Amino acid sequence: MDQLPLSLRWPRQQRFEHFAPGANAAALALLQRAAREDDAPWVVLAGPASSGKTHLLVAACQAASEAGRSAQYLPLAGLRGPREAAIRGVAGSALIALDDLQAIAGDRAAEHALFDLYNRCRAEGATLLFAADAPPAQLALTLPDLRSRLGACTLAPLKPLDDAERRAVLRARAAARGIELDDAVLDWLFARHARDLGALTALLDRLDSASLAAQRRITVPFLRELLAREG
Amino acid sequence: MNDLWRRCLERLEGELSAEDMHTWLLPLQARDADDGVRLFAPNAYTLDVVRNEYLARIQAVLAHLAGRAVEVQLEVGTADGGRKPRAGARPAPAAAAEPEFEHNLDPHYTFDSFVEGKSNQLGKAAAMQVAMNPGRAYNPLLLYGGTGLGKTHLMHAAGNLIRERNAGTKVLYLRSEQFVGAMIEALRTKNMDEFKRRFRSVDALLIDDIQFFAGKNTTQEEFFHTFNALFEGKQQIILTCDRYPKEVENLEPRLKSRLGWGLSVAIEPPDFETRAAILLAKAQHKGVAVPEDVAMLMARRIRSNVRDLEGALNTLAARANFFGRAINLEFAQETLRDLLSVHAQAVTIPNIQKAVADYYQVRLSDLLSKRRVRSVARPRQLAMALAKELTEHSLPEIGEAFGGRDHTTVLHACRTIRSLSDSDVRMRQDWEKLIRILTGQ
Repeated sequence: MDQLPLSLRWPRQQRFEHFAPGANAAALALLQRAAREDDAPWVVLAGPASSGKTHLLVAACQAASEAGRSAQYLPLAGLRGPREAAIRGVAGSALIALDDLQAIAGDRAAEHALFDLYNRCRAEGATLLFAADAPPAQLALTLPDLRSRLGACTLAPLKPLDDAERRAVLRARAAARGIELDDAVLDWLFARHARDLGALTALLDRLDSASLAAQRRITVPFLRELLAREG
Repeated sequence: MNDLWRRCLERLEGELSAEDMHTWLLPLQARDADDGVRLFAPNAYTLDVVRNEYLARIQAVLAHLAGRAVEVQLEVGTADGGRKPRAGARPAPAAAAEPEFEHNLDPHYTFDSFVEGKSNQLGKAAAMQVAMNPGRAYNPLLLYGGTGLGKTHLMHAAGNLIRERNAGTKVLYLRSEQFVGAMIEALRTKNMDEFKRRFRSVDALLIDDIQFFAGKNTTQEEFFHTFNALFEGKQQIILTCDRYPKEVENLEPRLKSRLGWGLSVAIEPPDFETRAAILLAKAQHKGVAVPEDVAMLMARRIRSNVRDLEGALNTLAARANFFGRAINLEFAQETLRDLLSVHAQAVTIPNIQKAVADYYQVRLSDLLSKRRVRSVARPRQLAMALAKELTEHSLPEIGEAFGGRDHTTVLHACRTIRSLSDSDVRMRQDWEKLIRILTGQ
């Protein structure tokens, strides 16, 4: 069989094994199950920005592909073009992960499309996973039929990592790239640059190549200069 | 070639946003073709997006990597041969294509598994009668009420019982959008005769959520004729709707009038005892040990509909399972805190008093005074009963909060409101509206 191993195609950074669970180990376990088993409960991830929602959804798609199930990820906030058409169009995969559910609250056509997708996936035995910035009961959904169906899913509240946990994660990710970050650099990064681990990890990749090119140790002045240059 | 596709993706990863990659390109599966590559999209929509937005770039990258032009074929399906991995990739074709009659009733929805209470016993009785005597008892049977109250369950239960009593009976269940989809498909493929035959040849037609026919004129027209044909043939029709059909806007008057020919039964939100019973039944079905006090707590706090109860139970079970803990009152309270809106936890006696005063447009000071005129006394009784229903306060505490009244006065208020709710539709609506206002559900 000459087929490409599916798992190769999903991003390397956002896998389950890279997810630092912090207080979210239960959510991680639920998604790991949903990625592999047809009849696992559908899950709604609810948490603020930077609590790992997108990471878990993408990791679930990757793990599903690895297990031989087709998967598709749909970010409802980031879609160009009509959302209703996209929601109506994505059926067909064994697992569909819908991110940023709050983005369609109040958009009746999109809510209706999601309601239909929900029913259809139930009937076809596909798995749906959702992420939103709040539990379904708190989203401003206008279609009660959709709200109640989301209410029937298993809710996994997510908490962002605390400062100590995020420092540990960033330090580990840096170490994996052969970069050592001392406390002064970490302090500066979290205070001045960004608090979002995704953004910080992207910065690590740029640091990696920049410090190689410049043959320099990573210090606060070096960081400041690099970021100033990036504008 | 697959290696080529992998390298192509790696190249595109550097050019496109992660979201675009995850959404449109990574779900594609690749397979070698004679002098190129075949890409399989999970659905027609993804195929269109890829063709319109990315195909040119994909071809350019592949040509660059291979050092020659590479032909790219796009189709819906999976690389391992299944043309369509799951039923239909186009929106809601229903089961339109199947020539054989296929039963699609959910075997789990039976009368045995239906938890009966005051709010739904009429609906259950009607559905059973229809199932015992299809086409003759009530035609159509229309079950209406809010979402997640068991309408679909009763509908399937009736269908299952019809089939159990007579295995040869053709019972077809459809969601309203499947009917719409099947009709659109039939129009598109100029196959209306087949469409008509399919829906008119069944012994019982079950259509869920017909409020979604509103504003769809061609669908209503076609449904109207289907309805007439079935009705004249004494074939059973069972429908559900989220409200009394006469109140659905943009539904044709002649259709509305026909919907009223048989029997319309309201399914009300379950009361406290029924909610607790439903929860215990669901827990037992799932093999989850839920003690009675936990069921009572959940039934008290989650009053919107049965799906929310089920979601709470799923969440509770998942957490208990993960943390290796038994489900007890403390654990349930902890879980519910995460689950319920801030709103639902914040119901206090002062909130209730203010909401009731606003609702009836009486002064808060009057509500808490000793005045006994009916215009104040009735709202006051309602507020007391709500305090009993929605908070954990005792009767003496509630009496104290209402201007130092005796606990027997509170008890009397609760009983009065309860019996009024049974007999007076207006009172029951006020009660439910206030609960919704206060709990945000």
